[in-house]
Amino acid sequence: MRPARGTVAGAAVAIVVAAVIGLLPLALSDYHRSTGATVAVYFIAILALDIVTGYTGQISIGHGAFMAIGGYATAILTHDHGWNDLATLPVAAAAGFAAGVVVGLPALRFHGVYLALTTFAVALAVPQIAKNYSHFTGGTEGLSLPSHSGLWLYEVGWAIAGATFVLAWLLLRGRTGRAFRAVRDSEIAAASAGVTLAVYKTAAFGVSAAMAAVAGSLFVLVNSFVNPDVFGLQLSLYVLIGAVVGGLGSLWGVLAGAAFVQLLPVGLTTGHLASSQAVPVIFGAVVIGVMALLPLGAADVLRAVLRSASTRGKHSETPLGTEGR
Amino acid sequence: MTRRMKTALATAGLVIAAAAVSAAFASAAGTPGVTARTIVIGGTFPLTGPAALYGAIPKAEAAYFSYVNAHGGVNGRQIVFKYYDDQYNPANTVPLTKKLVQQDHVFAVYGSLGTAPTLATRDYLNKLGVPQVLVATGDSYWGAQYRKYPWTIGFQPDYPGESRVYGKFVASKVPQAKIGVLMQDDAYGQNYYQGLLQGLGASKSKIVDVEKYDPTQTDVSAQVVKLKAAGANVFALFALPTQTITALVVATKIGWHPTTFVNNVSASPLFMALAQKSGANVDGDISATYLYDYINNPSTATAKLFKSIVDKYDPGANLLDANIEYAFANAWTVVYALKHAGKNPTRQSFMNALTHLDVVNPFLYPGIRMVTTPTERFPIDQQILEQYKNGAWHPFGHVFSKAR
Repeated sequence: MRPARGTVAGAAVAIVVAAVIGLLPLALSDYHRSTGATVAVYFIAILALDIVTGYTGQISIGHGAFMAIGGYATAILTHDHGWNDLATLPVAAAAGFAAGVVVGLPALRFHGVYLALTTFAVALAVPQIAKNYSHFTGGTEGLSLPSHSGLWLYEVGWAIAGATFVLAWLLLRGRTGRAFRAVRDSEIAAASAGVTLAVYKTAAFGVSAAMAAVAGSLFVLVNSFVNPDVFGLQLSLYVLIGAVVGGLGSLWGVLAGAAFVQLLPVGLTTGHLASSQAVPVIFGAVVIGVMALLPLGAADVLRAVLRSASTRGKHSETPLGTEGR
Repeated sequence: MTRRMKTALATAGLVIAAAAVSAAFASAAGTPGVTARTIVIGGTFPLTGPAALYGAIPKAEAAYFSYVNAHGGVNGRQIVFKYYDDQYNPANTVPLTKKLVQQDHVFAVYGSLGTAPTLATRDYLNKLGVPQVLVATGDSYWGAQYRKYPWTIGFQPDYPGESRVYGKFVASKVPQAKIGVLMQDDAYGQNYYQGLLQGLGASKSKIVDVEKYDPTQTDVSAQVVKLKAAGANVFALFALPTQTITALVVATKIGWHPTTFVNNVSASPLFMALAQKSGANVDGDISATYLYDYINNPSTATAKLFKSIVDKYDPGANLLDANIEYAFANAWTVVYALKHAGKNPTRQSFMNALTHLDVVNPFLYPGIRMVTTPTERFPIDQQILEQYKNGAWHPFGHVFSKAR
């Protein structure tokens, strides 16, 4: 059990972060609020990936596909059936959950890179399917939705991100989270301890995909437009990069990862250098650097700071290696 | 309830409450983007990614604006042109366009490239009354849907307009035609096909076979073989560059030598050369253009001006790149409209100028006149046919007039 001081420090960080996020729009222009809303989208998507990859150890490089499912659910229901856009979110989550369970089935037999390839195929296939059924999805010409103000997007995006974060925290702190981590660390050990692999693996995929689908819905609302290019492979990779940079298996790293994948490309594309060519290079360099120097991502830095603050310089008992996740 | 849960719930409550506190933002008055000495316009283009070839367009447009600025600008104002890389991905176009409008305070969004990116930003820009002008896409929406989107206007001839020209030509010049069509099975292909039917008129019964391919499919050999088997002697290709090149090569390899029409999108000399290199006989193929013919008229005033501006302000550009020629014709138009928007232009006066065009653009094919009215919003609606010979396109015949 963690010392109470750690919990207090964690709660203090939570309150400070929530306050900063909540009050930030007062200081931002409407454009920067929409940028902030996109950070919320990535936050939810990276959090979703973290549940299945960071906590349960099932690698997915196809989370863009689940986002696409949620995004199209929202777009089609509002565009063709006149739904209120927020009312579509539960439908998007349900569709995402179903898709996640189906994609999770191969995870019962495939491991590591083979599972990653399966999810990769899904990420490639879903946009093509959307292209094919153009009478339904609008094809490459897409579906346009009414646009919202940056403030609306920011508030809705971060309110949902906050709720998702709390849900993920509640899920991961108890029995389910322990089972997920057990599956990640050793499937044989988990099974012999009474964890039903099939249930927990597919559940992890389902919950994760449902969250990703909600992120996809919000992404469509932020852009007020959807077509297959919006959910290309790059999106799946950005989500994965965000999870790696933030730190797999850490809820707090998600925020850093989300800010990184959204703000760096925007800054480079529109900054004085206007050098969008540099984005993939910098992303690649940072991912390699993080893997080599900080395998637990930005969360590692935060964790070390918190720990040294709460133990006042004493060396902690759990080492910071991968075993400590 | 545990202590942690309480903390968590309090956190969630705080996020929501704090977010709800935020106040609305007032927008500034006056004409955005216009000062006594400058006028700011901006657009989005694919500078990287799969459509990066089009990245030459904004660079050449910027070069033309530098030339205009060096010669006094527009009504004493220097043109500031901001363009961002959207990689042809609407998820990038939307935030970048918002940045242009809300952070860079552009007077107008100018020349942005691509159908989906333009569709993705059209609602937003029209809601705010920001001009979205001379967009670089050949769909007919921009001219046709002006009632709902009065702040949007296109530039180049639309796809149906182009294939109407092919239809008219076949109907009048190829009496024994048996037409075979290869089209992409989506809105792009349908746009072209419907235009062809209109241009053919009563001659549309001469179509002997229509083959379609899925946009994701690159091998169109089976379709080409079917068209040959159907006895077609005219081949209308409404495809994207990859499929066009494949179709041209396959046709030659199976010994089929029809009169071939290659749509403007796929007719870049670059693609024709590629097809030729892969064994296609492309001599005699027909396409349509509306741009000035620099290759056959290298010593005219227009060609010399074109070359001098490119040499001075965009020295890395390839003079034979059709994108550069396109960019000059487009940039000339926005400069003309800015000039005619008055000494103190407003977004409304600028749109008025663009919807009351009646002018010859020196960078278009001679004989083409740019004409628009508030209800007739296709700036270029005339084209000339061209034939591919000896590694280059050569215009022939007369300029086809407005066919609408």
